[in-house]
Amino acid sequence: MKLLVFVLNKEDYLEEVLEAYVEAGVAGATLLDSEGMGRFLAYEVPLFAGFKEFMKGNKPYNKTIISVIRNDAVVDRLKALVDEVVGGLDNPGTGIMFTVPVDWASGLVREEEEV
Amino acid sequence: MSLICNMIAPDCVLLDLEAGSKEDVIQVLVDVLAKAGHVADTKLLFKDVMTREALASTGLGYGCAVPHAHSAALDKTVLAVARLNTALDFNAPDGSPVRLVFLMAGPKDSAGLHLKLLSKLARLLHDNSLRGQLMDCPSIAVFQKLLCERDN
Repeated sequence: MKLLVFVLNKEDYLEEVLEAYVEAGVAGATLLDSEGMGRFLAYEVPLFAGFKEFMKGNKPYNKTIISVIRNDAVVDRLKALVDEVVGGLDNPGTGIMFTVPVDWASGLVREEEEV
Repeated sequence: MSLICNMIAPDCVLLDLEAGSKEDVIQVLVDVLAKAGHVADTKLLFKDVMTREALASTGLGYGCAVPHAHSAALDKTVLAVARLNTALDFNAPDGSPVRLVFLMAGPKDSAGLHLKLLSKLARLLHDNSLRGQLMDCPSIAVFQKLLCERDN
């Protein structure tokens, strides 16, 4: 079982990304409004205001999608689908996806009810 | 990593400087960096630092400020420090006048190092105990030693 975290910088893709989640077999996920560290420092902390010019082209806010995944194959399917939607996570500024092991969870959608 | 320690040269530290305004201190520190051989164009560096000052306060609060700039006037990131006899207004977020001024300047293509140094300086200067010691220490050697002890 894994916790899948995806910070999606290009929020315009959110709808398609979530469709990819469903298609890949992710039974449920939680969406969080989030903000990059660089954006916060440059715009909210006066000392770092000089770095605004380096933020040009960066999206000010992003979405963080977290989900618990039972089956590793789902992550592989999802990664491929997400790459297709966003044009590849290797392109800087697109987003960050990673997993961490989960050794216990409660309240998940029951396995037999997963799509 | 001892970033700050390696950059604090004794000839770029001024203790108990008398200055009439923020502009005066910045000019003195720019001149100090130039005298140490770091600045090719002092007018340009002063202008770049003041342009950055106009953007938002570089006062950290607690009597400290870190005016800084990316500038074509130099080719490596350098630091100069002034401890003022009379505190000056830097429009700091907490409204407190400033006695410790760290001027940092680096070339335009060193944004990463610049950001790292700025963050480190801010973190060090948020320490009440270190700040107090820097404000009261008797010599440049002690000033430098205090910073180096914390900068590891």
